[in-house]
Amino acid sequence: MPDFKDPIRKRLAELSLSPMREGEIVEELSQHLEDQFEHAMQGGATEHEASQAVLLELNENDLLVSALKRLERRVQQDPVVMGSERKSNMIGDLWQDLRYGLRMLMRNPGFTIVAVVALALGIGANSAIFSVVNTVLLRPLPYKNPDALMTVWEDATHMGFPFNTPSPANFIDWREQNTVFEGMASMAQRSFNLTGAGEPERFDGRRVSVNLFNILGVEPVLGRTFRPEEDQPGSRVVILSYGVWQRRFGGDTGIIGRALNLNGESYTVIGVMPGTVDLPSMDNWNDQLWVPIAFNAEEAASRGNHYLEVIARTKPGITRQQAQAEMTNIAARLEKQYPEENTRVGIRVRPLHEQIVGDIKPALLVLLGAVGFVLLIACANVANLLLARAAVRQKEIALRLALGASRSRLTRQFLTESVLLAGLGGLCGLLFSFMALNVLRSFIPESISQAQAINIDGKVLIFTGLVSLVTGLIFGLAPATQASNFNLSETLKEGGRDSGAGSRGNRLRGFLVVSEVAVSFLLLIGAGLLINSFLHLRKLDPGYRADHLLTMKVSLPETKYPDKERRAPFFRELIRRVQTLPGVESVAVASNLPLTYNGDSMPIGAEGSPDPPPDQSPDVVLRVVSPGYFSTMGIPLVQGRDFTENDSPDAAKVVVVSEKTARYFWPGQNPIGKRLKPGSTTSESPWREVIGIVKDVRQNDFVAEPKMQMYMAHEQVGSFAANAVVVRTLVDPLSLGTAVRKIVWEIDKDQPVSDIRSMEEIVSRAVARQRFSTMLLGIFATLALVLAAVGIYGVMSYSIAQRTREIGIRMALGAQRGDVLKMVVGQGLKLVVIGVAVGLAAAFALTRVMASLLFGVSATDPITFITISLILMGVALVASYIPALRATRVDPMGALHYQ
Amino acid sequence: MTHMSSPSLDRELKKGSAELLILSLVEDRPRHGYEIGQLIELRSGGVLHFNVASLYPLLYRLEKRGWIRGRWVEKAGQRRRRYYRLTAAGQKTLAAQRDGWREFVAAISQITGIQHA
Repeated sequence: MPDFKDPIRKRLAELSLSPMREGEIVEELSQHLEDQFEHAMQGGATEHEASQAVLLELNENDLLVSALKRLERRVQQDPVVMGSERKSNMIGDLWQDLRYGLRMLMRNPGFTIVAVVALALGIGANSAIFSVVNTVLLRPLPYKNPDALMTVWEDATHMGFPFNTPSPANFIDWREQNTVFEGMASMAQRSFNLTGAGEPERFDGRRVSVNLFNILGVEPVLGRTFRPEEDQPGSRVVILSYGVWQRRFGGDTGIIGRALNLNGESYTVIGVMPGTVDLPSMDNWNDQLWVPIAFNAEEAASRGNHYLEVIARTKPGITRQQAQAEMTNIAARLEKQYPEENTRVGIRVRPLHEQIVGDIKPALLVLLGAVGFVLLIACANVANLLLARAAVRQKEIALRLALGASRSRLTRQFLTESVLLAGLGGLCGLLFSFMALNVLRSFIPESISQAQAINIDGKVLIFTGLVSLVTGLIFGLAPATQASNFNLSETLKEGGRDSGAGSRGNRLRGFLVVSEVAVSFLLLIGAGLLINSFLHLRKLDPGYRADHLLTMKVSLPETKYPDKERRAPFFRELIRRVQTLPGVESVAVASNLPLTYNGDSMPIGAEGSPDPPPDQSPDVVLRVVSPGYFSTMGIPLVQGRDFTENDSPDAAKVVVVSEKTARYFWPGQNPIGKRLKPGSTTSESPWREVIGIVKDVRQNDFVAEPKMQMYMAHEQVGSFAANAVVVRTLVDPLSLGTAVRKIVWEIDKDQPVSDIRSMEEIVSRAVARQRFSTMLLGIFATLALVLAAVGIYGVMSYSIAQRTREIGIRMALGAQRGDVLKMVVGQGLKLVVIGVAVGLAAAFALTRVMASLLFGVSATDPITFITISLILMGVALVASYIPALRATRVDPMGALHYQ
Repeated sequence: MTHMSSPSLDRELKKGSAELLILSLVEDRPRHGYEIGQLIELRSGGVLHFNVASLYPLLYRLEKRGWIRGRWVEKAGQRRRRYYRLTAAGQKTLAAQRDGWREFVAAISQITGIQHA
């Protein structure tokens, strides 16, 4: 017999195996060849033929060496799929995984739909809120180099006004003394009545420094901006807003140079600003036109009247802090120079962007956090579904591992599938957020800057894509790591067809449920606190009855009605005629209605009391009203009498004060008959006798505590004109709007009427922000609750399906339905209780960030916490009771035969 | 390497099936390499043939995975030989592969209309 060992050894040489291994292989293979040789000989071959045939087989294609090389040298690296050559072809693999994943998703439409819907809700809510945040908080203001734009305020914190509007004289001193600003502009609100061209109309407008638009860095879309020489009294030029130009003048490009009759004077239109100009404003002031502010000498010298808003641009390289430091020095200087007006008055510099978005920022951040949590819950749900499915797919995993798939490849496969799922969820989510934004836009408070500009732009798309990707990785990680830690022989030993992924899998699912419960608890607490605040807010006694009240603005132009002697007959006639309208109960006029205006407050002096030092003098809000105002508004008269027709200009001057005012000035005394005057006891105004006391009214701010208030008869006051008409109706208040307006025009055909609203609408607007964030957080929390309930239900169902056999045995051994029920529900409740405990701890820590959004409720309000805990436990109870009920219907015999 | 009646079946498939064949053959009792090769040829009626250069690397690979275990055995009057027996893990794998293969064949049959023998 020929020697086959040598040829074999020669071929193995290049592998440089260990001598022992080589010896073994040589022995085994040579034996094989010898057997073959003998076999061939027996078949009648010659020795030469047999030997040739055997060696030929050994030689074929160098197969032996190449096959052994892979095997013996690279022991760790298994081939990818069954038997294929190992090639690292990432793109090819990815493509294969994608197609495979898509097939898997299509094969389980139920699973896919549930997962995609959960993800679409989560991702969609995130995209929607992010697009709001993106527009309102992140998008830079539409001005040149907007970061350098600041607002500058008087800091009268000691009076309760940390951002007070400065007076003209102070502003002028700031402008002249500072070295940090490139330019400073002031603005003052002023309304304009447009007459002489179609229906009369009232516009919100502002007097502004002529350099305002240069400071902002905006160019007009038509015409020009103001010139320096136009900054003097008597210059009659006007710039229109884009909105007015479009609406009132139909976008007529020939508008430049045209004369408009505004407040009885002729103004020449010189320009139209673009629609992006959005200046910070109080009282929902909506700029429609601008004229030069042009202080006259008297106004420029006024240091005690605070009504300006100031915008400034810092010089290049000057920071906010540097600007603030210099302004603080200037304030100190002015305090020494003018102690009367400027004692304890500082100056505050605040970036324009912060001024515009400051109020809404905390609410938006809380909402953004909330949708993030909703998405986390959705992730946990989908991870749970995937885990359950991975357990079912164990056979597939086992087979693929057995056929040589590597674990890293399997992990990648699972991640590809989950990212694919998240991608689908993201696409649907985008669609969802698109629809949600349309709804959102109609709810978003008008006062939020650029609210209507909110849309889905490239940044939102990128955000959605990233969120989807990260989401897919997060919820795919759990099943994927499980798959890669999969112990082949253990799994097969656990036997059984649908055996779970073992106790480790159960622990993971339990952990997911606990987190879901904890996070949704957190959200529910947040929403609960906000809802509670909102209820508190709505229950607040505003001090009047807002139902059945029609309101409108009728601002008499100064040119036509310069004094009270000319205004009084107009209003007397208006009240007389409106009173006769069917459906009208009573009617009155006032300088301003509650919640529509923040100004007109002043210190007062009370007869017989020493005046306090200037910085401590109390601030009293003044409203000038007609007789019948209190009964029309439904403001209760506590003591004394209302104004009457007899409180005429010639009669003794009288005043009605609010309870708070009475308590402050005459504690423990009867205020009726006491006397006070605006300013101080030494001011030149006449004394006014207190004739009545009324309830406090939430005059400026619906949320804040009412300030001290006083009322004067409109015919007895020269300088504060009545502006607003209020009608108490027996019918739907808005149904009378047209009729009242018609009466106004019958008296004066050029008199504009604006802002025809019900009082309820005014109140509703005042709490629009609170309603907005309450509503959204409520929706998100409900979503979270539903998702968490689905998650608990899924896990319990799955765990019961797994335990069918155990339950069968228990029942066969005599367990009652009640026992089984208790066992299963108990298991579910245990997870929920742990979740609630974790959520509770987190809520105590996290709800503090919401403190600024709450009203009348503490961030750790025990009632909210207890209620929410009960709600969540109740929902969890139901979610685990349903599958538990199913468990009790297990047929013991069937369960035992199972497997 | 192997000679199969249907040359269009690709190599990976063959390799996957080869594992299945070997595992099946050592299921009931331990066998040595030559015997395994002979049995494959015999039972397939000569359609399948493994030569030495492809059979042994395959055996070593299965051994490395822990599905079969080779042991030198000396019997009276014979040379010592390496006998391969199925391990517990191999047993499970075989079961899984059989299922998989059955499904695969069934699927192919259903699509192509080839009747199961």
